[in-house]
Amino acid sequence: MSTTNERLHWSFLRVRVIAGNTFREAVRMKLFLAMTILAIGTLASSFLFQEFNFGSSELKFIADFGFGGMTVFGSALAVIVTAQLFYGEIEHRTALTLLAKPIYRSEFVLGKFLGAWATVACFLGMVTICLVFALWGRETSIMAEYPDQFESGRSVHYVAVIGFSAIQALRIGILCSIVVLFSTYASSSLFAMVMGVLIWIVGQLQHIATEAWTAGDSWLLKGVYAVASFALPNFHLFDVGDQLALGENLPGAIYGKLGLYALLYVSFYLAVAGASFNRREL
Amino acid sequence: MTPAIAIKDLIKDFRIPGSDARLRAVDGLNLTIEREAIYGLLGPNGSGKSTTIKVLLGLLKASAGNCELFGTSSENASARIRVGYLPEAPYFQRFLTGRELLEYFGCLSGLKRAGANDRIDELLERVGLEDAGDRRVGSYSKGMLQRIGLAQALIADPDLLILDEPTAGVDPIGAADIASLITGLKAEGKTVLLCSHLLSQVEAICDRVAIMSRGRLLCEGTVASLTENTGKDSIRVDGLSKDGREAVETLANEQGGTVSAPSRSLEDLFLELARNTEDPL
Ligand SMILES: Nc1ncnc2c1ncn2[C@@H]1O[C@H](COP(=O)(O)OP(=O)(O)OP(=O)(O)O)[C@@H](O)[C@H]1O
Ligand SMILES: [Mg+2]
Repeated sequence: MSTTNERLHWSFLRVRVIAGNTFREAVRMKLFLAMTILAIGTLASSFLFQEFNFGSSELKFIADFGFGGMTVFGSALAVIVTAQLFYGEIEHRTALTLLAKPIYRSEFVLGKFLGAWATVACFLGMVTICLVFALWGRETSIMAEYPDQFESGRSVHYVAVIGFSAIQALRIGILCSIVVLFSTYASSSLFAMVMGVLIWIVGQLQHIATEAWTAGDSWLLKGVYAVASFALPNFHLFDVGDQLALGENLPGAIYGKLGLYALLYVSFYLAVAGASFNRREL
Repeated sequence: MTPAIAIKDLIKDFRIPGSDARLRAVDGLNLTIEREAIYGLLGPNGSGKSTTIKVLLGLLKASAGNCELFGTSSENASARIRVGYLPEAPYFQRFLTGRELLEYFGCLSGLKRAGANDRIDELLERVGLEDAGDRRVGSYSKGMLQRIGLAQALIADPDLLILDEPTAGVDPIGAADIASLITGLKAEGKTVLLCSHLLSQVEAICDRVAIMSRGRLLCEGTVASLTENTGKDSIRVDGLSKDGREAVETLANEQGGTVSAPSRSLEDLFLELARNTEDPL
């Protein structure tokens, strides 16, 4: 028996193992089945409008529909799935055995976040694949009907469609980290979900508040706004669907800018989550 | 050599939600548990046994005092490197099979991938789950959960095992198997901290015991010193003939005493009957 005391090193391997197991839970909960049905349902419903036959503007309609579904269902899933996968572990007391192992709680927090994020990212990926197929198929048949509109080849910029969903994955990463943060503090998964939805809505409307609050001359409101605008992400920045006119790509710089923005917020929320979870009693 | 577990002046208060009052679950506990021994922690329900264990493992924060495992403070994750833990009424990721659960916990406890499968097979057999290893944990019975819990505690071959009621919900044969498994661990040079309400079993396998009540330590010592018979007014006589027995009964009655047949415990009877039937699981 050794008498020297080893030191436990923070290990990304354990983070990966926890993330992998979290993802496996999502798979076995049949979440993916539900998500696939959701993805196909979203796009199928856009075809209800097919009879209007708008020509190439119909393609924009399908794309907008897909983008909207991706954002709304993706965000809702992010809140539900993260709360379930993170808080569920505390709720069912499985975290007790896990955290009695030689692991750091920050490893658990990061692993759970990555597993939940990967789950929702898979949903985004599935919607994207469906969307690309739907657009391609519809474009092909419209091209045959109205060849004069397509003299310069296909009008949909498919790389931009994939770029859009990559940007949504960043948005959802931030949302997942927020739900993780609330889960470390929560005493029910409902609390984590409600807070997640609240921050999602506030983050979405933040740019509107900007106009209202900065226009007034109350210092208090301005102060509250200043704090809130730093602590909360501005999700409107990720609404690039409008900028993304069909046939044009997104400016390359936007990926870098939003990527950095997401990275900063995710790191910030996870750092706070780690600190909060360290103090939590199980 | 540093002891396996050292608890100094440990106090643990729980806040009662919605009021300023606090509940003192552990009240000034001092305990030292030396290595290579089986130590029984006893006490009635709610006496603070599980709370003490959770503080030891860093799952709860001490309100005052401190705990060390092999000389490292419990607040430090490094303290848990050589420790295996079976929580009371354990509950595991139900979507995993028994084997996957052991793989998962093995990875997290630093079990090397090479040889992991052999280790898992060996443990499944050791706890009597060799036929259930590929079934989902969600479908396990209460006693099977205890068994897989024991296996996950042993997965990384720890030097210290903390077992919170390992025999709760386990059938008598299983409980006897677990007892012999625990004595086997001691023979391998490991330390075991055991909480149990099966006093006859504790008496049989523990080297030392501590008895707690309301968060305080009532007594502590070797089993022999605590169970030493101080009452000298009952005796046991064996190997008498029928006539001899009658003579003893007559004599005893004359002296104002009684003679009665020794009782066999229900546990003995159950074990004997059940051992004769095949396929216990
Ligand atoms: N998380 C908690 N919050 C509030 N009180 C708690 C909490 N955990 C335990 N307690 C209280 O602390 C006291 C000791 O509980 P503990 O679980 O340590 O008892 P125990 O000795 O393990 O009992 P048992 O034999 O029933 O397992 C009890 O009064 C219990 O109600
Ligand atoms: Mg207990």
